[in-house]
Amino acid sequence: MKAMKEAMAGSLESSDVLVTISPREGAGVEYTIESIVIKQYGRRIRSVTEEVAAAAGLSGAAVRVQDRGALECTLRARLETALERAAAGP
Amino acid sequence: MSSAYGDRDVREIRDAPDLAEREALLASRGLSAPGGEGLVLGLYEGDALRATGSLVGDVIQGLATAREDEGGGSAAVLVTALLKAAAARGLGRVAVFTKPREAPVFEDLGFRRLAIAERPASGLGAALLEWGSPGIGDWKTDLARRVEGRPRPSGVVVVNCNPFTRGHLALLEWAAKLSAWIHVLVVEEDRSLFPFPVRLDLVRKGTAHIRNLEVHPGGPYVISSATFPTYFTRPRPGSSDDSVSELHAALDLEIFRTHVAPVLGAAERFVGTEPYCPTTSTYNRLMKEILPAPRADSAPVAVREMPRVEQGGEAVSASRVRDLIRSGRLEEARPLVPDTTWEWLRSPGAEPVLERIRTRDTRH
Repeated sequence: MKAMKEAMAGSLESSDVLVTISPREGAGVEYTIESIVIKQYGRRIRSVTEEVAAAAGLSGAAVRVQDRGALECTLRARLETALERAAAGP
Repeated sequence: MSSAYGDRDVREIRDAPDLAEREALLASRGLSAPGGEGLVLGLYEGDALRATGSLVGDVIQGLATAREDEGGGSAAVLVTALLKAAAARGLGRVAVFTKPREAPVFEDLGFRRLAIAERPASGLGAALLEWGSPGIGDWKTDLARRVEGRPRPSGVVVVNCNPFTRGHLALLEWAAKLSAWIHVLVVEEDRSLFPFPVRLDLVRKGTAHIRNLEVHPGGPYVISSATFPTYFTRPRPGSSDDSVSELHAALDLEIFRTHVAPVLGAAERFVGTEPYCPTTSTYNRLMKEILPAPRADSAPVAVREMPRVEQGGEAVSASRVRDLIRSGRLEEARPLVPDTTWEWLRSPGAEPVLERIRTRDTRH
């Protein structure tokens, strides 16, 4: 799926994560991962993010993940929601 | 819009009593309600307002948390709601103007710091941060690509040119003699009587004969109102609007020094003396203070000031040209502008602009 519009899910509250998906020219997907626990979990957060985005067939998007110490299930849920919102028409 | 966070609830504040409560919360934190607001949100716990913030265009303003809630995550809830509201309006990037000591709170929420300015004399300080994309990094990458291979060190002139006069032309010709390469940044904010595309075009046409000079759109980080919202820290009693415009100017110059000048390889900035406008004259004074100062974080930029060109005993200025148009004496403006500007002023395309100047009494 192509990202059609700005979409967000989650929050910047502690133990949550804010996922932002923005449309971009072309087919590539550009990932930005930020986390308060980047040293311990940065790689895991990135791989989960890329996996969920790839499963949805995301293209033409910038994905920003701002992790505030969320559980992996929370991250997955936020990613799914943001992807759904980004795909939906206005 | 309404969304629940446990027993807390974010709602839009609309009614007068609620707005008054919000104003009281802002006042308790030393802030005044910013003007011209789009969306005002409140974080409520039951009926009690715990935090507030608003979105004006793409700028977050008037953010305050009840003192006893500090550190309790209210700011994160509210900022999230404001970011989502911005996204719903298609905005991928928002800015925030806040007190320098609040900057780390926003950095913790993923905002990038663009500049901090503190004016010890007035006790005022402000920090400007942004969130999202396209951000200043994207803008700098584009600008760097545009100026690749140009001679360095260069000189820079920032101009509004509303419209382009012989005064501007003299300044640019002077600068081009003193510097290997001149980058002219034309203020892009479209708040002037002459629309931006016209101003840009007249500067380009009027300087086509200068070989070592290049004209660029100023973009969102050079004297733009998007980065200068009307949101400030509380001035000390007795300080006036002057200290506020001083703070504006200082922030713009900080951004110029730390972000713009390095991309352009600028060692010098050229400016004309300002005999009339107090805001511009404050700006020039601060420029001489902020840009050349030796500092560890960024290279200094020398400031070279040229006296205004005079014609008939008066300084040649764009405001004089506008005054002449306003009073129906366009012909008298002819000696004040280059032929390229004159030709445009006499073209059919200029008629709506001239009409607007005649009928509207604005400073710009």
